[in-house]
Amino acid sequence: MQKYYPGSKHPTWSLFTLKMKLTIVLLFLSNALLYAGPTAGQSMNDMKIDLSAKDLPLRKVLDLIETKSSFVIGYENNTINTGKVFNIDAKQQSVAQILKQLMKNSSVEIRQISDKYILINTRKVFPPMVVSGTVTDKRTGETLPGVSIKVKGSTTVTQTDSKGSYRLSIPTDKEDVIIEVRSIGFKAREFNILRNTANLTINVQLEEDLLGLDEVVVTGQGIDVSKRRLSSNVVSISEKDIRDIPASRIDQLLQSKLPNAQIRLTGGQAGATSIIRSRGVNSAFISSTPIIYVDGVRMDNLNTKATLGGGSATGAAISSISDIPMDNIEKIEFVNGGAATTLYGSDAANGVIQIITKKGGADKTDITLETQLGVETPTADYLHFKRTKDLLFQNGFYQKYNLALNGGNGKFGYSFSGGYQNSTGTQIYDQNSNRRIDLRTGLRATLGNNVTYESSFSYVSNKYKRSRNGNQGGYTGLWFAESGASAITGPKFKNDLDAMTPDEYAAIKAYVDQAEALQDNGISINRFQTSQVFKYQPLKNLTFKATGGVDYRAQRQQIITTNKYLSHTTNTSITDQGSIDNFDRNYLGLTFEFNGQYEAKAGDFSFITTAGGQFFRNEDHQIEYLGSNIRDGAQTISIAASRTSDEYYSAVTSYGIYLQENAGYKNKLFLDLGLRGDGNSAFGKNIGIQYYPKIGISYIPSAEPYFKAIANVVSSAKIRGNYGIAGNFPTPFANERTISFVGFNGAQAASFGQPGNPDLKPEKTSTIEAGIDLGFLNDQVIISAGFYHSITRDALFVVPPAPSTGQTSQLQNTGRILNRGLEFNTILTPIKTGSTSLKFNLSVNTLYNKVLSSGGAAPFNINGFSARTVQTVVQEGYPIGFIRGNYGVFDDKGLLVSTTAQQNLGTTVPDLFGSMGINFQYKSFNFFANADYQKGAYAVSFDRQFRFNYGASTEGIPQAEIDKSGRTRWLDFTNMFVEKTDFIKVRTIGVNYNLKPAKGIAKSINIGFSVVNPLNFSASSFDPEATISGSSQGQNGATTGGISYSTYSAPRQFVTTLRANF
Amino acid sequence: MKTYIKNIFIATAISISFLSCKKDNPNITDEVYLNTTNVSTTWLAGLKRQMALTMNQVIVNTELVSDNYYNNRTLSNKVFDIPQIDNFDLDVNNIQSAIQRLRESSEYGLTTVINADKTTTAVQKAEMYFINAYSHLLSGELFTGLPGAAKGVVLSPAQHYALAITALDQALALQTDAGEKLAYTLLKARVYYDMGDAVQARIFATAAMANPLLLKQQAFDGQNGAPNDFQTYIFSSTTNEFAPLPRLDFLDPKYYNTTTIALDQKPVSYIKSEEAYLIVAEVQVSGNDLTGAQTTLKNLLTDVIAKRPVVSLSDVKETRNGGNRTDYPLTAVKVQFDKNDIERSGYVLNRKIANINISTVSGTMVTADDINSATTQDALLYLVYRMRQEIFISEGRRMTDLGIKFPVSQTEQLNNPNVKPADLVAQIPAFIPKNREMDDFTNNTATGVVTMKYDMNKVMVANKTAKEIFPFIN
Repeated sequence: MQKYYPGSKHPTWSLFTLKMKLTIVLLFLSNALLYAGPTAGQSMNDMKIDLSAKDLPLRKVLDLIETKSSFVIGYENNTINTGKVFNIDAKQQSVAQILKQLMKNSSVEIRQISDKYILINTRKVFPPMVVSGTVTDKRTGETLPGVSIKVKGSTTVTQTDSKGSYRLSIPTDKEDVIIEVRSIGFKAREFNILRNTANLTINVQLEEDLLGLDEVVVTGQGIDVSKRRLSSNVVSISEKDIRDIPASRIDQLLQSKLPNAQIRLTGGQAGATSIIRSRGVNSAFISSTPIIYVDGVRMDNLNTKATLGGGSATGAAISSISDIPMDNIEKIEFVNGGAATTLYGSDAANGVIQIITKKGGADKTDITLETQLGVETPTADYLHFKRTKDLLFQNGFYQKYNLALNGGNGKFGYSFSGGYQNSTGTQIYDQNSNRRIDLRTGLRATLGNNVTYESSFSYVSNKYKRSRNGNQGGYTGLWFAESGASAITGPKFKNDLDAMTPDEYAAIKAYVDQAEALQDNGISINRFQTSQVFKYQPLKNLTFKATGGVDYRAQRQQIITTNKYLSHTTNTSITDQGSIDNFDRNYLGLTFEFNGQYEAKAGDFSFITTAGGQFFRNEDHQIEYLGSNIRDGAQTISIAASRTSDEYYSAVTSYGIYLQENAGYKNKLFLDLGLRGDGNSAFGKNIGIQYYPKIGISYIPSAEPYFKAIANVVSSAKIRGNYGIAGNFPTPFANERTISFVGFNGAQAASFGQPGNPDLKPEKTSTIEAGIDLGFLNDQVIISAGFYHSITRDALFVVPPAPSTGQTSQLQNTGRILNRGLEFNTILTPIKTGSTSLKFNLSVNTLYNKVLSSGGAAPFNINGFSARTVQTVVQEGYPIGFIRGNYGVFDDKGLLVSTTAQQNLGTTVPDLFGSMGINFQYKSFNFFANADYQKGAYAVSFDRQFRFNYGASTEGIPQAEIDKSGRTRWLDFTNMFVEKTDFIKVRTIGVNYNLKPAKGIAKSINIGFSVVNPLNFSASSFDPEATISGSSQGQNGATTGGISYSTYSAPRQFVTTLRANF
Repeated sequence: MKTYIKNIFIATAISISFLSCKKDNPNITDEVYLNTTNVSTTWLAGLKRQMALTMNQVIVNTELVSDNYYNNRTLSNKVFDIPQIDNFDLDVNNIQSAIQRLRESSEYGLTTVINADKTTTAVQKAEMYFINAYSHLLSGELFTGLPGAAKGVVLSPAQHYALAITALDQALALQTDAGEKLAYTLLKARVYYDMGDAVQARIFATAAMANPLLLKQQAFDGQNGAPNDFQTYIFSSTTNEFAPLPRLDFLDPKYYNTTTIALDQKPVSYIKSEEAYLIVAEVQVSGNDLTGAQTTLKNLLTDVIAKRPVVSLSDVKETRNGGNRTDYPLTAVKVQFDKNDIERSGYVLNRKIANINISTVSGTMVTADDINSATTQDALLYLVYRMRQEIFISEGRRMTDLGIKFPVSQTEQLNNPNVKPADLVAQIPAFIPKNREMDDFTNNTATGVVTMKYDMNKVMVANKTAKEIFPFIN
């Protein structure tokens, strides 16, 4: 018998309890949702009874059956056999047989919908009927493709094809048919159909809807809810909004598309991390990246360095967001924390992005072929030396091809897309090249009358090169050229590139050429993702949905450092230090969710009840295997003189249940209530289930009768307000006190692991928000305004221990963080005629961020270097990630008179940010541009500081000080290298023209041209976005940027697009 | 259709419970650990590894603070060379974290681990006591004061030394190996030296001289995250980080690799009989027994240093000039210890043409003639400290000889109410030059002479009554 320490739980017991918990959760759910009776597994075919009835009306007979069995039998009173009497005499017959016998002369369907309920429905069979027609934009008269046409309350659905026409077969068992026509950005329409013809043509005109009150959203709601009923804001972006933007990753695609969120890529290399944040920085522990779902399945969203692999590939981390599938998108939804994410519980304080993919099209197969070809040029705006561009950069070639097929009919839909993208990149020797392949399928099938099955599957292969970033010691292209390190590296050069003679420049150019050519660092990612959804609709107003899916991401990176490279860059002969550093990271995420939604109406009141349970499990397995002293030319470590390896494993299991009640009065006043309870393996021993409540109100004044009087001026209005809590769960296993082991000269060496924390729990952000959405002059002016105030309690801080404890840092719930701000968004449409429209959008967000309390914990850094140089720090009374460093004061003569350590040199969090755009359309011609901006943040340029240190320039430091101390006091006045990072960056400018040839095989052709990253206006001398967020302190750690240091800017792209539909 | 949902349910339930069965925790909790076998053995191995990590912190940082080495790149501490020592400096915190972790781990070993493992031997306990003593010794030598327990009160160096003596006595009582006992005895002599107790220091130093080649070394492990960091910075790194003061050039690199870096990590000699001779000689100089001191120092040269290994090594890849200074001499030039000194040869080696000879345990350029011609207390004191500098180079001893001590770190203060403001200030004697001048020199390429800005041994002798230095005098 194995001994277990006192007070411990037997391992089987802990498994049992975990299983128990889940079982309880699921049993509760199934009961709650299905109103199931006490005897599980009861079937009307199995239950046998005796029954004798003479001249009794139907209801009486059914009552008899109900008393003899445990079933409850419902039937439509007004249609079935009214006034008729029944005789029956049955012995030991099944309930099903008896009912069948009773109903033998009626056209009804007898169904058992749960263990307890039996339903008798009238079954009328109608002759086949087909509804067809064309859907057009009411304003322009243009046909609209991709519009969803659905028989309300059934599973029958189709889409318009590329010419806007549709064809829908109406189910033969439905009498009252309502056809619902929906497209994002347009007001939904419904048509009542009379079943008196075989063929009916309905041509539909849709009117633009900028406020989107009746749009149906799913994210954060369990199942579908219309925006009108919601007290929180859900941003939805349609395929149309994004299809003309030549982005190569999802976060880039969303840049300046989310009015109240900010997305900044921290570097221009493929796979660079990004900083995505909406409502401030509500955690000092976890990255502000939202959780990302694709068709209900949670994605790996690691957006900082990984634990192993040196944490990064050559000085900059790899983002898992850069290979999230982005083909065949039907719609993207975004909710930005607070009450909107309460139903996601401990996982969503940073908001949720959900990508919903296509799973079918019109009844004729639609083929879309798209090619994008273009040139990439380096963004040289921020380079200090004119010659750096020539030294390190090239013009690159960008190409992308995509084939998509969509089709189906009312019962079945399919969607396939395949894409290939290749870019040579803008660094010499194609050191930033990127090749990506995307395959995606989506299927929708109606199984029987009430079940829909939706499936999507995608595969992404992403491969790219990486040259060295930041200061890793030795040679780094940008550090060498831009930071003046050429004076101390290799054969040593003069470091003012622009002051060099042509011969000197030729020498450095030849050196750099070789140093860049000799780098061989590659990253390769294979990613599979699938989502399987069953929807069961036993009644018109009752829907169940089961979602299951997997995200599997395998990342491999290889850094080959040859002796030749080392010899060249150190200017010595090195023969035995070549190495290959391999790093594999495998991520497996499993998501299961089951929920049900019941809609009820009582007079003027309507209720939508949603209940569900969610489970997910993430595993992150990392292996690093290193070969040192290896011959040049080797590609694997097998021939290395010495080989070492390391492994990291983390897993987290989370389960939660939720209940949401949305009650409405007269389509104008809605109350939104919700509660989620969460368990999570990362919680400490003493922490049980965590609860997240929400409450909200939505009021639609425009639905009031009095509103008609002012409808000419104020065309639509909504007032909303809510309070809700969402959380972030702690790092897996951080709750346990451990002993760590490592080899030491062949022996097993034990030492203190993490101190552990049995009270570790999620940090919880409670948000109160209110807002108003107004449409004026027939929605030609849309204004959305709101405020939020959120406090993160029990904020998780990585608390550095007192050295005297001999322990390492431990995660603790000790902080309190405030974020508050105003959110404005406006859309102006000054011109809106049949042929022309002109639209502007502008969003303005303010942000105030502060660590209210650190609970006594010492300040800690989340980015940067050491305390004596410069760091971004979390400290009570300051915004998260403010820049802390030495502050130097110069006198009139330009001499440094004092230097004070650890001063606040500026915040890295902007107090104002937003995006803007313009869209002009004339007939089939379209012009668009969008930009985003920020104000009020600062960053330190370590490049400038180095440039000063290495004497490449004076960087504004008074000559008197240089004469006195030379460059030795370069770290004593870091404030001199801190700059404002206000910017306006134009992300995309594009034009496109759509033509519909009358002849030929193509149904429509779209020709476009766009420029990505064309214009940058910034207050700083360096790229305000190119900050090394990847070096934040740990896997998934919080980061705010703020340190600019040898990081490549995103390149400029000039891309032509040709898209044809067949 | 009812069965349909049921199936979905069952499938979901089964898959969820199946998946959640595996709660793979890659960690071992302390409760589990204490119930496994071989606990003391693995804990002691961990303590030895922590010794290696602690030495890394001590050597790398104190060699920079001292006049021995200069950080010629940017990756390591950028202000210790000045020397500027702040309580918030990451490295100030790192050094005490490493020392305190050694102490806490040894105490956990001596309380919890040995009680959980009935097979613990007396020798294992002795080694734990020895390591505990070493942690107190480092606390006393390197810090103005440090807590002696988790979040405990700040103990003065004298209090730490007393604790070190107690622990060493316990280690000596339990240790059975004669060689180890002699090493413990020498460490005791060092503690008494630190305490300024000449009588006791001499007794234990003399006892340790029973083995003139006594040597205890700390091993490293380049394959498991415990390489000899100082070796990395002076040799193994492709960009040599640290450069020695040119007059100490001939002693560099004490650690180097000839095969793969990961497999060839040189040990640090931290207890060696040279120290016994140096302690006895200093006791003699301080007591004005100049002849006795001369004899002891000459015996040190002939009986010990002459018998220590010298290796022939190729160091052609040495560039010396990592970045911050580019005027380090790379070929054989003459040196002046300061501008008043004579020009001396042999101190800077020519690494480019042939192999160099390096002492891997102890080396010095001080000769018997130098010792014979030193006939005053000052001259001999100067020689004792010059020899200490050369013999102990790259072993993290020089900063203490210079009288510099680190303060308690800000992180400790923020977590520990026992820390007083006075504990947060470093001890830097008034005679220590600032602005990186201890490492400074001029290289006259025309005459081929490198002149140090300061001869710190001379400076110390000139300030010999400064309370921070020369424990037997002050």
